Parts: sequence; structure tokens; C-alpha cells
Amino acid sequence: MVELDWTATTPLSRIHVAGRHGAAQGAAGVTLAELSDFELVQVMARRGQWGAVAQACAEAYGKAAPARPQAVTAQGALLVWSGPDQFLILSPRGAAVEKARTSFSGMASLSEQSDGRSLIRISGFQARDLLAKVCSLDLHPAVFPVDAAAATSIDHTAVNLWRGEDSSGEAVFFLLVFATFAESLWRTMLDSGAEYGIAIDASGAWQP
Amino acid sequence: MRIACPFCGPRENGEFSYLGDAKPKRPGPDAGEEAVYDYVYLRDNVAGEMEEFWYHGGGCRSWLKVRRNTVTHEIFSVEAAAGAGAAKAAS
Repeated sequence: MVELDWTATTPLSRIHVAGRHGAAQGAAGVTLAELSDFELVQVMARRGQWGAVAQACAEAYGKAAPARPQAVTAQGALLVWSGPDQFLILSPRGAAVEKARTSFSGMASLSEQSDGRSLIRISGFQARDLLAKVCSLDLHPAVFPVDAAAATSIDHTAVNLWRGEDSSGEAVFFLLVFATFAESLWRTMLDSGAEYGIAIDASGAWQP
Repeated sequence: MRIACPFCGPRENGEFSYLGDAKPKRPGPDAGEEAVYDYVYLRDNVAGEMEEFWYHGGGCRSWLKVRRNTVTHEIFSVEAAAGAGAAKAAS
């Protein structure tokens, strides 16, 4: 009898190498990090139930569900708009799925995506230059401010992109991508950002 | 060509896939073979303005109804297709 040894890994664990990548001189223009240990629930309001869902969301998470492309910081979770009448709940590992199940019972369809997506953080003073090569959206602060979100395609892959709180005065972007497409997208970003110099952080847990 | 998705804003056409003419309506059960044949197979090849279905699969995954000039690619209106996302009627 073969003994199976299951080891949980992150979507990028096979190719993720922390350290410096690309141009080695000067300060790294872009910092990339793979974030893990999150729970993700897709919430889709049932026909005519959006109002009830937004209300239930306000009661359970302290903020109404986003009705336009936005990432809303709520109690212990981030609510990310993903389309009309639908959004994602991103929370640290815990009982997030169960909480969503009880909060939206009968008014929305839920789909757990915790291990189905990879979460990537993109920061640094040239983060927007890297993204400009692969993303067709205008990410200038005037049109894509903090908390702006978008459902778009990068590298022919559907992604959820949003802007978090600035860090050291620079924009921070988050990218949620299907787990099996994460390696391809990661490689594309390493190639796109090589000229700026990339610092790859050690993988860490996502924090709201 | 860029399509202004009513939910996401203007996006490049690579995010959308094209279904075609938005005009054909499914015939009733008694409409007869001719009407069904027409509905399934026959399409007008319009050079000019027409209404089309586009799917925003690379974005918010909504079906859209777009009125477009097929010669110049000028777009006159974009709206959510009936039954899609926020256009759903309460039951």
C-alpha cells in the first residue's frame, strides 16, 4: 500500500523565490508578494434580492456590500466588488465561510474560492509602470484612487484588481487570480518588471 | 474598439466575446419549422447599425446589448441585456 503524504502548498510555491529579480542595481522599483491563509467567498445575490443582501452585509460586516467597483474595508473582512449584484468577501483564515453562510441565507448564492485563487500584492514606486505593460486600465491615482476595484483581464486571464492603502506614500495594488493561472501571470510580471528590478517578499498571510 | 460596460466603464474589446445579432426571438412552440429554421440558422449580414449581444467575460461577466455600426465600429448605446445582473427583474 502506497502511503500518501499530503502537503498543503500555495499556488505559487513551485516558482516563488524570495529575493532580488531582474535589474540588480539601485533600489527595486517593484515589490511582489504572494499572500496566503485567506478565506474567499463569492456572493451572488438572487433575483431581486440585492437590497436584502446589501442590508444583511451591513449587519454582519458593518458596511453595505459594494454596488460599484470598489474594495470596502469592513469588520474583519474586505468586500470586493466583482460584478453587478455580486462581490467577494476576503477574510483571514477562520470561520469566514460559515459566517457568510448564515449572513446571506436564502438571499444569495455563495461559492467558496479560498483555495481557488491566488492573491498577489504589487507595490513599489514603479508598480504602475509594470502594470501598464500588462493591464489595459488607467491606474492613474486621478481615476483609480485608493479602494478602487476592477474586474478585468491581464495576460488573457480574468482577474480582480484593487488598490489598497498606500504604503510609504506609494500605491499598493492587489491582484486576485485563478490559482492555476497564477504561475503564468507571475512569470509575466517578473518579465515585465525585470527592467525596474523586483524585490520578491517571502510569502505571508493576508491581513485586512 | 472600446465598449463602455455599464458596470465597469470603458474597456478594450479583448475583454468581450461576441455572440451576434440581438434581434432573433425564440419562436413559440406552434410557430412551425420555417420559423425555427429562421431563428436557428438565418442571420442578416448588416452593413450599418445593428443590435448585438456581447459578453464581458474578461470583466464583470455580464451580457450586454450593444447598438453598433458594423462598418465604422461606432457604438451608439450599451445596456445590460434583459435578465443579466442588475437588469434582473424581481420575481
